[in-house]
Amino acid sequence: MQPMTKAIGVATLILAPIAGMAASQPDANGDAKEQWHRGILAGYQSLATGAGDLSHAAADYCSAPEQSSRDTLERAWLDAFLAWQQVRFVDFGPVENDNLAWQFQFWPDPKNLVARKAGYLLTGEDPISADVIAQSGVAVQGFPMLEYLLYDEQLNTGNNALPAPGTCSLLTAVAGHIESNSKQLSEQWQSFRKHYLATEQYRDATIRAGMTALEILEERRLAQPMGLRGNGKRSIYAADAWRSGSSLKTAEATVLGLKQSFLPGLKQLLESSSQPELGQRIGRQFDEVLEHFPDLHSPMAELLSRDETFSLLQGFYVDVSQLTTMVNDQAAVELGVVRGFNSSDGD
Amino acid sequence: MAPHLNVLRLPLALAISATLLTACSNSEETASTVPEAKEAPAAEATTKSDVVEHYADLAHAKFQDALTAARSLDSAVDTFLEGPTEANQEKAQQAWFASRVPYQQTEVFRFGNAVVDDWEGQLNAWPLDEGLIDYVEEDGYQHELGNQGATANIIASTEINIGGTTVDTSNLTPELLAELNEIGGSEANVATGYHAIEFLLWGQDLHGFDSGAGQRPATDYVQGEECSNGNCDRRAAYLDAATDLLISDLEWMVAQWAPGQQDNYRSQLLAEAPDAAIQKMFFGMGSLSLGELAGERMKVALEANSYEDEHDCFSDNTHNSHYFNGQGIANVYSGSYTRIDGTELTGPSLSDLVAELNPELDETLRQQLENSMGALQTMKSTAEAEAEPMKLDMMIAPGNEKGAEIVNGAILALVEQTGSIEQAARELGIDSLKPDDAGHTF
Repeated sequence: MQPMTKAIGVATLILAPIAGMAASQPDANGDAKEQWHRGILAGYQSLATGAGDLSHAAADYCSAPEQSSRDTLERAWLDAFLAWQQVRFVDFGPVENDNLAWQFQFWPDPKNLVARKAGYLLTGEDPISADVIAQSGVAVQGFPMLEYLLYDEQLNTGNNALPAPGTCSLLTAVAGHIESNSKQLSEQWQSFRKHYLATEQYRDATIRAGMTALEILEERRLAQPMGLRGNGKRSIYAADAWRSGSSLKTAEATVLGLKQSFLPGLKQLLESSSQPELGQRIGRQFDEVLEHFPDLHSPMAELLSRDETFSLLQGFYVDVSQLTTMVNDQAAVELGVVRGFNSSDGD
Repeated sequence: MAPHLNVLRLPLALAISATLLTACSNSEETASTVPEAKEAPAAEATTKSDVVEHYADLAHAKFQDALTAARSLDSAVDTFLEGPTEANQEKAQQAWFASRVPYQQTEVFRFGNAVVDDWEGQLNAWPLDEGLIDYVEEDGYQHELGNQGATANIIASTEINIGGTTVDTSNLTPELLAELNEIGGSEANVATGYHAIEFLLWGQDLHGFDSGAGQRPATDYVQGEECSNGNCDRRAAYLDAATDLLISDLEWMVAQWAPGQQDNYRSQLLAEAPDAAIQKMFFGMGSLSLGELAGERMKVALEANSYEDEHDCFSDNTHNSHYFNGQGIANVYSGSYTRIDGTELTGPSLSDLVAELNPELDETLRQQLENSMGALQTMKSTAEAEAEPMKLDMMIAPGNEKGAEIVNGAILALVEQTGSIEQAARELGIDSLKPDDAGHTF
């Protein structure tokens, strides 16, 4: 199928008499983009709020390191991280500035750069400051670094375990970095509104963002650790957030974020397409996927270890695959979205 | 040369998006490596079939050159093993550098042609956990998480056990090395190919972000009492077997692209509808340009300041690997290739086809390919400067603004050209550049 953008140009010139659909299309596109912008804004705002809470919790814990403040900190880390998962699919717009997406979450990290960079900072002579963090590269600047400080077994049995002063400095500085990035992102997204609505290509870019997120979820975040790809070996290290055991919670948050911020605009477009019922079916499939929770909140390591739990994971994987097929094949074709190159090509 | 199966790190590179970039008006003078505009088309227009056939000729010539250069490497290695002096080591290292020139230009054939992609892991897999092969510095050796083979040290062991499987490694033959490649299911367990050979010639680069490559002593190959670091006989046997295997692998691939055969890959490719092959050509260009070279090989290393992600990390030859990858992309579009003996191979090209339908787009894309080669040339010249050369592992150091600018310049130029590669594909009626998933599904 030809790209819709091209088809519209032709339709207005030649097919005007039968152009009922073509004429309403720009409105549908505008409405969809309004919905997407609103949904993503809400997501970015809750990320900013969560990151603020996290930053406070880190400071509180380091000034009074007790079990209760530690619990609060761990909860705040998870809440903010899950807020990020909900908007992680957005791969265009302000999040592209300064590699913000990579700053929030450097993943995957097969060579354990996070640990290496932490070791370097914790044993270095220079005090850790906001400037040092700003200069230290994406492996230092985001949620995985905090996860490492909070949950890494080796670190937590050594001299640098929290609340060691150096580790606390790193913790609070990284949390502050995330807070400031998330505020910046939320503000920039608001200013971006006009350009987003006025620029035609963002319709397809938004749809492709959702498609890519589903593909990554299916292929990289599930199939890979489950051993369904490549060498056939199950491995938690291919999953995200394995240190804290929250890989599946992040998957849930990603799907939930897509349901809240991406699906409404997509449905809107499908309603004025030749398959108006497809949006409803996709909506029902989102629910099917989400019904696996909270049963599936267990750590990936546990789910991979036994056949009974692995079959739960398989059920979830199948539902995600079906959702991916509906969005990436059926809806995308219906809406004339052509996949271009992205970095999942090639390998 | 990423691992030949799904690379774990790809999602990171998604942050590079070509979708919304508008054509760049940056047309500064840059070193021209892309031929000038063709003469007016001859009376008989170029057909897609002509272009596909010439593409197969290009691939054949490049793999032949890679084989020729690998044979020189093999013989330089043999000389080094017979007389393990520093001078002979350096000759072998020079031969390795030379072998990379044609090989890196073949990588554009990897993406889209499963026959190459399924094969290349044994030649060019990266990054590797070199502790699988030989001794490594204990302190600071960072290997892939969960890789049980990361410190197996085949050279020091006549038997290794990885993940419960025991392998007899007493006799280091090419066949055994092939069997050991990716042992235990880890793509980081690279036992064969250019980078295993590179490690055996240079050793680990322990300089981090500072100047300097690996400094393996030539005495690592001296037999008898002068042997440094132990097991010099096995180390020599390993290096010998690895270079032999490289040759037989390349011979196989040359045969796949040879003309006049009934059952090779070339005959299959030419029997397909030309559009299918044209799709592979564009797909190879775009995938190498964006996801692999700009993303995997440069952006990850730069943004994470990670010299672990430097491409040719033992020899500090990364700038050349990138440069010749870029050249390979330009070659497929222009249909031209300068062989290692200096002769020019030219013929019907994608550029001819696009120019007939949309001369402006052809012009833009050719300019962009020139720009990206210019940016890669800057990287190469900076790395090879006589006074204070800055290698890629120095460019990506935290706080090196000049280095970051050079690497970013190359990334941006590659991202820009990918947008036009997509357009050019569409211009020729190729609607979907989505890869067929052959071999990657279960």
